[in-house]
Amino acid sequence: MADKKNTDKLKKEIRELVAKISEVPEPQLKDSALFVEDLGMDSMMALEVVASIEKKYKIVVPEEAIPTLRSLKDVYSLLEKLPLK
Amino acid sequence: MESIWPISKIRETLPQRYPFLFIDKVIEIDQAAGRVVCLKNLTQNEHFFVGHFPDNPIMPGVIMIEVMAQASIIGFAALKPEVAAKKPTYFLGKVEVKFSKPVRPGDQLFLEVQKEKMIATAGIVSASAKVDGQVVAQARITFGVKVYE
Repeated sequence: MADKKNTDKLKKEIRELVAKISEVPEPQLKDSALFVEDLGMDSMMALEVVASIEKKYKIVVPEEAIPTLRSLKDVYSLLEKLPLK
Repeated sequence: MESIWPISKIRETLPQRYPFLFIDKVIEIDQAAGRVVCLKNLTQNEHFFVGHFPDNPIMPGVIMIEVMAQASIIGFAALKPEVAAKKPTYFLGKVEVKFSKPVRPGDQLFLEVQKEKMIATAGIVSASAKVDGQVVAQARITFGVKVYE
């Protein structure tokens, strides 16, 4: 996560993943869009996002952190805190 | 093969009833691995064999999904007993499924559920159904769990 190139790549991957699960086209996905209110996602879709991220980056997202993931921005900042393998 | 849960506990955990209660036994629970194995015995008397099909009884795929979903509820209850004790409502959210062999009267359906991710309000599991050790269906099931207090 040290350089900008990696950060941009990670953000792109996360956006693609959320676009796929939420079925919202990627160009329409704003980083600040709220998953539930703006993208129509539910708790099951949110869990799918988390499970996909865990699998892809081999990390464990703690259960208590999941309700705080309300937008792409929140996901980016969580991933900055968690050590990626 | 002994059930590690009495029938009463299966009935307490699953809200479904006849003719829609499909778990006969809980064979194995591995808390650490997040895995459970359940059993469904199929007899000629299953209500769905009457019409599916009169001269060629085959277990409907949608019922196989339901059986795997009920095994997933058992899995959730085994791994999150504190939530299951509140008698939540379970919602089937998303199913990706593949059927590989027909299931007929007399078959014993072993249902293996492996946790992928589980929180108090939802779960994602991989489930498989086996007859005589052969996989007859595989599914990835996403479900929601809501406690109405």
